[in-house]
Amino acid sequence: MKLRFYLNNVEVEYEIQPDEYLAQVLRRNGVLSIRIGCDESACGSCTVLVDDKPVLSCGLLAAKVEGKHVTTVEGIQEEANRLADYFGDEGADQCSFCSVGFALIVHALRKEYKNPTDEQIKDYIVGNICRCTGYQSQFKAIKAYLKEAK
Amino acid sequence: MSLRAKEYYRASSLEDAYNKLKENPKNVIVGGGLWLKKTGLEYHTIIDLSNLGLDQIKEDKDFIYVGSMVSLRDFENSPIINKLFNGVIAFGVREVMGPAFRNIATIGGSVYGRFPFSDVIAALLPLDVKVKLYPNQEMSLNDLVNYRGKLDGIIEQIIIRKEEGKAFFKKVKTTALDFPMINFSIVNRSGKNYIAIGSRPGVAALAYKAMEEADKGNYEKAAEIASQELQFLDSSNISKEYRIDLTKVYVLRGLKEVNE
Ligand SMILES: Cc1cc2nc3c(=O)[nH]c(=O)nc-3n(C[C@H](O)[C@H](O)[C@H](O)COP(=O)(O)OP(=O)(O)OC[C@H]3O[C@@H](n4cnc5c(N)ncnc54)[C@H](O)[C@@H]3O)c2cc1C
Repeated sequence: MKLRFYLNNVEVEYEIQPDEYLAQVLRRNGVLSIRIGCDESACGSCTVLVDDKPVLSCGLLAAKVEGKHVTTVEGIQEEANRLADYFGDEGADQCSFCSVGFALIVHALRKEYKNPTDEQIKDYIVGNICRCTGYQSQFKAIKAYLKEAK
Repeated sequence: MSLRAKEYYRASSLEDAYNKLKENPKNVIVGGGLWLKKTGLEYHTIIDLSNLGLDQIKEDKDFIYVGSMVSLRDFENSPIINKLFNGVIAFGVREVMGPAFRNIATIGGSVYGRFPFSDVIAALLPLDVKVKLYPNQEMSLNDLVNYRGKLDGIIEQIIIRKEEGKAFFKKVKTTALDFPMINFSIVNRSGKNYIAIGSRPGVAALAYKAMEEADKGNYEKAAEIASQELQFLDSSNISKEYRIDLTKVYVLRGLKEVNE
């Protein structure tokens, strides 16, 4: 079946299978920034935005994004780069497998909350797992970034 | 493992969706599609309800109407839901995974699934909740949860009666993203106590005898009764005995809190 949607504001049309999930479709079409970690909707590394809301692309049937706006890290490149600096400063990045998912979830957090509390930040990033660090460094980096990015 | 299907169908009305569902026993309704993926089953046609306007939460004087395609995230963020029982029902739903997950998972899929671990069902069970199924069925959430066999119909909405009172919700889990080892939802509404315990590992159930005792003000005895009247079993990550001990502690704590 044909699927049409906006990928980082550019209209695209892909041939998909009815039972395919979005992460697979994006990767097959060259969006290799999508990291499939658990492929069970449990780790957050495949996070993308659909109509500005964060979703797990491995858990969303591709057909569901018909006509919608899908944003991957390429669509928030500048912000992702800035966040990466904060992650670097805090030593919050090691293998970097999870960092794309983090960039997108932090982008969504910033849009949803003007002045998030510590608790709101933690609740928002809870679904993004990192197997290298202990989360403290990421939490510090995100807090510092949000302060600057206001 | 993932679900497999040959066709994808975007329904234009509930009638259209229902007709499609009845066409082939291998056709299936999709909510968020998260659990369907996990089952890895093979279907003929996936029927999508996204275009039917079922993603709305509405209210009138006495009731709240939650469309089956409302995401868990929209549910927990809804000001209407947050006014209910000091926001505790929204809190219970917020305990499921992260926001990017809850933006996909739907109320309809969570209720229809009758998952034994469900925090969503546990949170809602002590309230007066009806489930409206297309074409012509309406049943209480409690009847739906206890219904054995395949439910016929499509969940259109759940209807929550607005009542005054206080609520307590506790999900016991080993890590933030875990399934519950056990969950407790205790509500005092219109002066009466309701106690639901889920993931025992059975699906959430009301502890009727304990509720009676709690209404007499005997909270400690009620907690003891709750730990005896429902079935608790061992699971790989928690023993039956620990579930029983947790029940005594959290039912007592919950009853005290909602009756303060
Ligand atoms: C990794 C993972 C972790 C989870 N952890 C938790 C947890 O800790 N606590 C918790 O409470 N839940 C948990 N869940 C369950 C989750 O919250 C959802 O309830 C579940 O995914 C179903 O929602 P869905 O919208 O994706 O349903 P789907 O997968 O789309 O559907 C589930 C079932 O409901 C049927 N269905 C869907 N909508 C309708 C409708 N309107 N009418 C009739 N039938 C319908 C489908 O045919 C299917 O049989 C978890 C799920 C996963 C995959």
